[in-house]
Amino acid sequence: MKKLYSHIKNLLLGMGITGKHLGRHAITIQYPEQKWTMPERSRGIVVLLSDKETGELNCTGCMLCMRACPTAAIQIDAPRGEDKKRTLKKFTVDNTLCCFCGLCEEACNFSAIKMATKYEFSVLDKNELIWDMHKLQEMGRDVDYIDTRKKKTVPVTEPKPAVEAPAPVENPVNQAGSDDAEDADDRQEPPAPAENKSNDKGNEG
Amino acid sequence: MTWTIAFGELHGIFTWLHGLLVDTGLGQPWLNIVVYGALGGMVFGVLCLLALFLVWWERKISAHIQQRFGPMRHGWHGWYQTVADAVKLLQKEDILVTTRDRVVFFWAPVICFVAAFLAYVCIPFGDGLIVADLNIGILYIMAVTTFTVISLLMAGWGSNNKYALLGGMRSAAQIVSYEVPMVASILVIVIFVGSLSMVDIVKAQSGLVFNWFIFRVPFGPIAFVTYIIAGTAEANRTPFDIPEAEQELVAGYNVEYSGMKFAMFFLAEFINLFTVSAIATTLFLGGWNGPILPSWLWFLGKTLLVVLLLMLFRWTYPRLRVDQLMEFAWKFLVPVTFANLILGAWFKYAGWYW
Amino acid sequence: MSELRTEEFIVNMGPHHPSTHGVCRLMLTMDGEKVVNIVPVIGYLHRSMEKMCENRTYAQCIPLSDRFEYVTAMSCNQVFSMAAERLAGIEVPERAEYLRVIMLELNRIASHLIFYGVTAMDLGALTPFLYGLREREAIIDLFEMTCGQRLTYNYIRIGGVSRDIPPQFVPQCRQTVKTIGDKLSDYEGLLNENPIWLERTKEIGYLSPGLAIAYGVSGPVARASGIDYDIRRDDPYSVYDRFDFNIPVRTGGDCYDRYLLRLDEIKESLKIISQALDGLPDGPVMAKVSPNFKPPAGEVYARVENSRGEMGVYMQADGSKKPVRVKMRGGSFNQLQALPAFGTGVLIADIVAIFATLDIIMPEVDR
Repeated sequence: MKKLYSHIKNLLLGMGITGKHLGRHAITIQYPEQKWTMPERSRGIVVLLSDKETGELNCTGCMLCMRACPTAAIQIDAPRGEDKKRTLKKFTVDNTLCCFCGLCEEACNFSAIKMATKYEFSVLDKNELIWDMHKLQEMGRDVDYIDTRKKKTVPVTEPKPAVEAPAPVENPVNQAGSDDAEDADDRQEPPAPAENKSNDKGNEG
Repeated sequence: MTWTIAFGELHGIFTWLHGLLVDTGLGQPWLNIVVYGALGGMVFGVLCLLALFLVWWERKISAHIQQRFGPMRHGWHGWYQTVADAVKLLQKEDILVTTRDRVVFFWAPVICFVAAFLAYVCIPFGDGLIVADLNIGILYIMAVTTFTVISLLMAGWGSNNKYALLGGMRSAAQIVSYEVPMVASILVIVIFVGSLSMVDIVKAQSGLVFNWFIFRVPFGPIAFVTYIIAGTAEANRTPFDIPEAEQELVAGYNVEYSGMKFAMFFLAEFINLFTVSAIATTLFLGGWNGPILPSWLWFLGKTLLVVLLLMLFRWTYPRLRVDQLMEFAWKFLVPVTFANLILGAWFKYAGWYW
Repeated sequence: MSELRTEEFIVNMGPHHPSTHGVCRLMLTMDGEKVVNIVPVIGYLHRSMEKMCENRTYAQCIPLSDRFEYVTAMSCNQVFSMAAERLAGIEVPERAEYLRVIMLELNRIASHLIFYGVTAMDLGALTPFLYGLREREAIIDLFEMTCGQRLTYNYIRIGGVSRDIPPQFVPQCRQTVKTIGDKLSDYEGLLNENPIWLERTKEIGYLSPGLAIAYGVSGPVARASGIDYDIRRDDPYSVYDRFDFNIPVRTGGDCYDRYLLRLDEIKESLKIISQALDGLPDGPVMAKVSPNFKPPAGEVYARVENSRGEMGVYMQADGSKKPVRVKMRGGSFNQLQALPAFGTGVLIADIVAIFATLDIIMPEVDR
């Protein structure tokens, strides 16, 4: 009899818990009328960033992101001209291969590539998901970023700001460099020391 | 209570329709057929709308229990979602397995659908709102709701699918087992009223709220609880929904049905749910009795309350295994209801009721 | 009259089934209503992950390891990073270790919440699934705030973690810990003492300790059978030895105990997270690791305590930038292997219950 009483009590307790939820407001939102604000570190699609003043692509064709990508989603063609400078001819990101890991963004030294917080890019034809340079630049135009490139106009004698924050923003181990001697000459600028990078824990160029 | 809002009372419609049809001057057997046919047709129409409403309500209740919204797109809070679903189901291809047993496969959903509606001939929707006040009302309803067993077996057999057959047999066994405690719970009430007629049962609960059978301890609440449990099993709802559970291996009797045939099974399930609740209201909660508001509104409100209770059951509890279900029916419910019956009979004999 | 001839027939609980978590095919040999034998057929989710690791550098393997067992992707990142760090002798900064512990325990809670929801759903109670996911959303919001993704994090890297936590992480994490602690009473009230739940899970699927050890079953399934072994305490990695927490152990060995044990583990994880948040030191979050990461030649086996048992990675390096061989070991594989040994003699509905409480995740089995 006591067991029967405890059974009934527990059954009613269960119903009480679900019944209690009937009075609570729903916690879902009605997409697409209401959209969730994505956190700023959210990794959406890959975009190419342009200089804020001139509007040109920041990308120098160093191919660090291509080497960092685990799925070979980034394809770059940037042949070296006679003056030993690279010109960017082709930059494609295959969004069907991209696994949204963010290694390309971390590899880039030039604030050229970023994972924007956009996530709505469904298409009906799969070929439209392979984005070329222009599409990437267009998608990246309205993306706000912090420019971490070393400014060439800054005179060397200017004292550098004091550093107190830890953690270099980039993860050097993810720049999967090759053993190519050519690529060692490749870098036009040495990897910038930590002091010149933005010290925000949150925002990243 | 006689001081109701007079204009809300609907029994006038029935008397008006009856008068109208009598005035046509038809001969006797035809007059009855036409009158009852017309009244039945009205009830059928109301019930179809009710079925649509119930499907929507179930989705909304389940959604709000789970803190989400449910249908929101079609109409205000999705009120015509069910209509959209019905139209969609009409457009679906009617997949017919070539090895099916044609006659049986075809007639199973028809019988299920018809059997679900047959019970409403005797259910009082309000004061004077009953198609036919049979003097064997509740017995007729019990007899007719058992037709669904046949349709389940036909569905299982006709699909030519061993899993559907197993599911159909399990479902049939479940319904037949739970008929016994259901009828025994109802018998207690019948003993007290002294009549099988539904209208008499409701009239026996007129007056104060405490006249309702659910409040007449000790046999009233016990009978109500056992009736609700047996009714949930009759309507194939969780925690007794083995026949239609997807997570079990045996997929259920309606696995081979698609399109409108499936819709018939689906709607019949909701009609059965409403039947169980309507009988619970009539027998235990006082039927249409209640002050101020029109009687049909009371009936509807009380029935929807019982429907809400059954929906809460579904969305709270896990499901019972088939053998546990049968064990529960035969080893627990049947002795309890029979003991309750004896208790009730004793009370009536000794005159200890008010 | 001669005896009725009965024969056993095979029922296929196919790869597409609402109850098998992932694509797993169970071929059940039935004698009437009872299951006589179970033959699991796996390989439907095989993606040749171990081979793929051989063609990628160590850093590129980390996002790949996320997909090894995506419900607890942090543990996968952790075990892989640990293996590479041991090969190269890298020491992880303290702040990174604490952050790793916080993320691992949050992921453990998220995984157990999924277990709770999915098990209840398999047995018919459809609402706890939504409640579990609601709490998991709070945890995943924390992850998204930190590393940007909700499921495949790529956060725990070789040498530390990829980024430091944003300033709003700590207060929000504390709030989440508090909310989950409060809501646990809801979950328990809904199912723990529910007579229907007890009927479906008590005395079902008893796994004896001897059988568990014989098949190498680890994690909550083994601890529910009485085997008191947890890598966090017995072979500590990261900074687990600095926290004060219990390892819940139950002796029942049936479905009900496995279910209760995971709820207990959620409570213990909440304790660990609070302690880690309190003791979070300052400092760098990433060690100095060379961009061309080439660990010296050698082999290592690293293991962590995952929500499903022991997750291990055996890694063999030869001095180049890509690993020679990576072998991944997941707890679900052993549990699925043990299923025919203890899961027979029951009805099909019980197979569903047993399979649900084993909490098998197929990507870990198939890799």
